Amino acid sequence: MGRKSHFASQVKKQRTTVTLPTESLREAHRIARTRRVNLSTVIAEALSEGLRQQTTAERSEGVLEGYKKAFAGFTDEEMAILDGVILESADGR
Amino acid sequence: MVDPASGPFLFDTSAESWLGRSGEAEVRAWLRAYLSHCEIQLSAVTVIERIRGYGLLWRRAAAGRREQIEAARVEYLANLGRVWPLGGADAVVAGEIMALLPDPPTPPRRSHQLTESRQERLARWRFDAMIAATALVLNMPLIHNNVADFEAIRSAIERFPRRFPKLGPLELIRCGALV
Repeated sequence: MGRKSHFASQVKKQRTTVTLPTESLREAHRIARTRRVNLSTVIAEALSEGLRQQTTAERSEGVLEGYKKAFAGFTDEEMAILDGVILESADGR
Repeated sequence: MVDPASGPFLFDTSAESWLGRSGEAEVRAWLRAYLSHCEIQLSAVTVIERIRGYGLLWRRAAAGRREQIEAARVEYLANLGRVWPLGGADAVVAGEIMALLPDPPTPPRRSHQLTESRQERLARWRFDAMIAATALVLNMPLIHNNVADFEAIRSAIERFPRRFPKLGPLELIRCGALV
């Protein structure tokens, strides 16, 4: 835990101004009071988690699109070959 | 329905392409949910089968079509998930499976004028044994679209547990049962 805090304190930070929904800000204040941490910590964690989810969603879409392209435009027989089922005509072609 | 969050799962060659080609919204939603938790897990043997397939199609294709096949191959490799190598333990288990089941449980595949040679069928069967061995050693459920082959392997492992100490059962999930 102490180690994590140490690394967290090493993260480069920058001051900025953002406009937040009142309800979200109220909830963030409540969580900060409950956990006895400052508001910036709660908002930074929430932002970090939101960004992580966004990145994951983008990566998932990328993989789905990639698969679509990797297997598109092939006939059933060609797909069989891509799946390791090597079909040949009687004369070996 | 299989909870996508209960992964990771090992994807057999047939399952990977089944999922990749499915246009069903439910299947794509399942895959999207799975990918939000973990990567696609593959045996190196699946990569061998797949790249060999692209290579054979490329060699057989007319010059004008080769570019499309190569683009598809590059796309496949760009999105490769976690690839598990065939290690010592996998090799031992695969060898045991091949000894218990020396012959494929089903005949060579046929399609119109085309047929799979006995030699190719045997090679594919042995590839399946290696993929099943990888899943067993990793203790990872195997998602497949090849019931005959993998059920035969699962059954053999159950019948001869002493040949697979501290391993098993082989957990199989059919593609059709995912959603």
